[in-house]
Amino acid sequence: MLNYIARRLFLMIPTLLGITFLIFMMVATAGGGIGAAVRAAGGNLQSQSGVAVQQAYLEDRYGLDDPVIMQYFRWLGRLSPVKIGPRDLVSPSGDLIGYPKELKAPPLWKWFADSLPPAPKPGTKPEFKSDEEQVRAFRAASRSAADARADLVAQSALLREALKDYVVEAKIPAAKDRDGKVRLAKVEPLPADKTVPSWPKVEKFGKAAVEAFERARIERAKLITIFDTKPYPAAGVGIGPVSLTRPDLGSAFSRNRPVIDLIEEKLPITLMLNIVAFPIIYLIAIPSGMLAAIRRGTWLDSGLGVLFIGLWSVPIVLAGILAIGYLASKDELHWFPVGGLHHQAADTYTFLPTRTEAGWQPGYLLDSLWHLTLPVLCLVYGGFAVLSKQTRAAMLDNFNADYVRTAKAKGVAPGDIVFRHVFRNSLLPLITMFVSIFPAMLAGSVVIERVFSIPGMGSLIIEAINLRDRELILANATMIAAVNILALLLADILYAIADPRISYK
Amino acid sequence: MNNRFGLKDLVVIVLLLAIGVSLWLSMVQKDRQWEAIQRQTAKLDELAQQAGRVERERAEIQRRADELGEAGQKKIAALTEELAQVRKEIASARAAGASLGSGSTASSPAAKNEVAVAASDDSWARPEVPIAKFPKYDFYTDPRSQPGFREGGEVTEIYEAQLQKVVPFVSTDVYGRRVIDVVCQSLGAYDAKTLKMTGVLAEAWQIDPKGLWIRFKIRDKARFADGTPVTAEDIRWTFHDFMMDPQIDAERDRSILRDVVDKVVPISEKVVEFTFKDAFFSNLDNAATLFVLPKHIYSQFSPAEINKATGMLWGSGPYRMEKQSKDDQWTPPGDIVLVRNEQYWGPRPPLDRIRIRCVNDELPRLTAFKNGEAQIITPSVPQFKSLSQDPEFTKDTNFLNWVNMRCGNAFIAWNCGERNGKLTPFHDKRVRTAMTHLINREKMLNDIWKGLGTLSKSSWNPTSPASDPAITPLPYDPVRAKALLKEAGWEDRDNNGVLEDAKGNEFTFEFTYSNGGEIAERLATFIKDSAAAAGIRCTLRGIDWSVGEDIRKQRDFDATSLAWGATAPESDPKQIYHSESIKNQGDNFAQWNNPEADKYIDLGRKELDFEKRMKYWQAFERVMHEDQPYTWIRIQAYPRFFKKEVGNVNTYPKGLEMWEYFRGGAALPMQSAN
Repeated sequence: MLNYIARRLFLMIPTLLGITFLIFMMVATAGGGIGAAVRAAGGNLQSQSGVAVQQAYLEDRYGLDDPVIMQYFRWLGRLSPVKIGPRDLVSPSGDLIGYPKELKAPPLWKWFADSLPPAPKPGTKPEFKSDEEQVRAFRAASRSAADARADLVAQSALLREALKDYVVEAKIPAAKDRDGKVRLAKVEPLPADKTVPSWPKVEKFGKAAVEAFERARIERAKLITIFDTKPYPAAGVGIGPVSLTRPDLGSAFSRNRPVIDLIEEKLPITLMLNIVAFPIIYLIAIPSGMLAAIRRGTWLDSGLGVLFIGLWSVPIVLAGILAIGYLASKDELHWFPVGGLHHQAADTYTFLPTRTEAGWQPGYLLDSLWHLTLPVLCLVYGGFAVLSKQTRAAMLDNFNADYVRTAKAKGVAPGDIVFRHVFRNSLLPLITMFVSIFPAMLAGSVVIERVFSIPGMGSLIIEAINLRDRELILANATMIAAVNILALLLADILYAIADPRISYK
Repeated sequence: MNNRFGLKDLVVIVLLLAIGVSLWLSMVQKDRQWEAIQRQTAKLDELAQQAGRVERERAEIQRRADELGEAGQKKIAALTEELAQVRKEIASARAAGASLGSGSTASSPAAKNEVAVAASDDSWARPEVPIAKFPKYDFYTDPRSQPGFREGGEVTEIYEAQLQKVVPFVSTDVYGRRVIDVVCQSLGAYDAKTLKMTGVLAEAWQIDPKGLWIRFKIRDKARFADGTPVTAEDIRWTFHDFMMDPQIDAERDRSILRDVVDKVVPISEKVVEFTFKDAFFSNLDNAATLFVLPKHIYSQFSPAEINKATGMLWGSGPYRMEKQSKDDQWTPPGDIVLVRNEQYWGPRPPLDRIRIRCVNDELPRLTAFKNGEAQIITPSVPQFKSLSQDPEFTKDTNFLNWVNMRCGNAFIAWNCGERNGKLTPFHDKRVRTAMTHLINREKMLNDIWKGLGTLSKSSWNPTSPASDPAITPLPYDPVRAKALLKEAGWEDRDNNGVLEDAKGNEFTFEFTYSNGGEIAERLATFIKDSAAAAGIRCTLRGIDWSVGEDIRKQRDFDATSLAWGATAPESDPKQIYHSESIKNQGDNFAQWNNPEADKYIDLGRKELDFEKRMKYWQAFERVMHEDQPYTWIRIQAYPRFFKKEVGNVNTYPKGLEMWEYFRGGAALPMQSAN
């Protein structure tokens, strides 16, 4: 058994890799590409200057100017707990500070300079009198390096813009791709045509870019020497170039926040809803399925069937809107709140209900339950049908089996027949269904979240897809895929426990 | 099976009970602690209130002293003038006396100079450059002069989208901006009524006649919410060490301002000078509307902390965030609570607290409003229309629907150039004008948007001084359209109901729109029907927003509908309408090329004088109206529902001013600033 589990766990790695790769490529090839999320200003267009530079800044921030495959590997590298290479530093506020990023040589630098300035030699290890001085020097160096890098990025972007005119005037065939960007590979082999009208502009930005590159290199080298003195402690644990750290899920493009923060914010909400809802579904659906099987053909059986199927066929949107319109509106019953998870004053409540001078105060616990009622109701009502029908069918299969007849003939008590024989043998299909709730618990329900203004995982995922937010989509997909695979493994283990005939030798 | 109740069972039950009871007790204990904390907090709040009151009284005394000083100064000025007059008389008498003897001597100018020196303190300014002064910064409409005024209370507004972060320069969405606007201030702002740039933190400024520098004088009493005065160093730091720091995620502002502002230099504690790279009309806007952040607070944090922050917001505005510390900052999805800045340097805002909540769905939003959980919401178009007939609802609700400078401007862009190497039918101005005549925009406005908003006539918002009031939208006139089309060579030559050109090609075009909304679908169908009525075949192409940009860049459309957003009364038209922006996939995706328009754009951008520049923009608008590269449809109105108990809500051309509201006891009459 242990052997089997280990093998399954090991197989998880290639499966997850495959899933993430597929999703990465889907996002990359979707309309607008990866950068679409970054460009989504949302709503109306705005006219503004400096678009090219802004674009370049953002691409540099998220590394979007590299080939897609490289971006995927970089993403994997950040996700992987095992890292190779210089370790990140951890600032006192808990943020990771990466090793200074490589610089890109300005495009077509050969036109503007005979050779790129030689890479500056790493300076001698600086001495610091105190830790404070070291940190201050590191901060100053980071700022200078960032300034120099930003300048290089901006100048290179402006040079690319200028080249757009140049390639037209110099009549270079097929020099632009579909997005209107200049294909450097087409221009690079050709000598600079200094007769075209836009040459002075190209030359100006080109020279500026080469100068910026030189400065950025020097600043980066300075920063590296201080980085190597480790002004802050290094992240994770490790020996030599290999280290073990926490996976880094990156930063969501569309919200400009760390993905992990977003998930930490939404996941508890969705989990809470589902942890309340799923037991209710199971506690009602399975016993009623059993009851229906035992009382097969009676009015109870058909009544439950009609009721559950009827509930199942009511769309959640409609139910939610009706619930708000009738149960929450002041014009009607006004029994429940309209939405949200807490009363606006819940922060000042005690945990348990109390009496205060102002009167009865429900307390945090009751207030939460009161807010949860309507969304949980909507989550639950549609789930009865499938589960109770499944239970009923599985039970009926077994009721007709020979061993049940034998047991009855032996005079086993009816209760024992139902629970010890029939129910236990009907568990297999229920286990299959049971494990599917784990990924569902993470995913959340988009409709309910929207209707009841609950900010959970469902809306997070849908928004991530709508906005092509690569980091957010990948993080969610990886998480759900991992849970799914683990749940399937759990199902296999449970099969073996429920049915001694199954073994994984 | 042995069912006897044994010792083991007893132990288990006792243990379970013990666990349950201790859990219960611990909860009770927690609650008691909680209450204690609450009491402490309440006491602290009370102290803060007290401090606020003392501060207020001090400010009042200061104000009186200032007033007295002002009156005194006036008296002194009057006396000085009188003195000068007397001196002049003496001088003239002397001259008269002297003329009797030996001719003329010097006379009055010296006396005049004395008066001028006594009246002004402009030692901070550069000599011989005019100074614009803004001695007072006050409410646009004083809430205290309104009927039913009451101080205190809370107002809740519901936004339609979840706010992600409220950090100046780092958050970029409209909703975040609304919150930041009441907490942070800048040197200047557009006046809510006139839309002219006026001083907020600055009491005066000087603009270089050549447009290369602006010098600001900061108000002496301007201070941040913690009482620290606003200094020139704060402004320099905000620009150079916050916004221009590449480690901070403020790419949007940085990419624009890096080409505009050269440097920001503090001249003295209260005087700061911006120098610019180029003389450009928007220099003043760019410098004056830059948020001023308190250096002593923000400089405590590393760029990484600021980038991932969600509610780190401090400033000098009338309100401040309730949660002020880094470790207990506001995070979504909680309500944003703004409390009155008790140390505010300007007029005291009436409300104690403003609460901002986000609800995505329209029905819960309305229900919350009906239940009294919120006092301000933005209704959907159908809600606005249907509820205006509901007497129960209108009893305690004010319906607001007006156009201001931030309203979006919806249009159809006609591709005036080539699509995939072939000219579209819309390269001809007559065809474009005919299309405008063919589309009944008034009917569209009433059918699709239920009459919310106003008809648009050009790229300028009608509230803007850049817009020429003499220009009105072209009327719906199918007859004129037919005539124009015929003139352009399009007529039904084979009587099949479809127009053809001289070679027999049918008039067909494709209408591209962003799908995924009922309104977009209805708009597209309306255009198709309008075209069909005139014998033009129109096919519809719904696209996902993410490919829209690509299609516009490729100019791969015949006609498309979009909307421009706005944040200021005038914006630089070059990016969208100048012929230079056609090449290299620039933003002039309609490929409108008109040398006359180019001329006015170039002139306007260089003109620093406001009045003259408005003349150029109006001239540009006339050219555009004549040429119709776009069919302008609608200025998106700002609809709002307000509970009548919220007072002093004014529909300014600039938008709403949250800090002027107050919460009255009963329903209050509606105000209008227009």
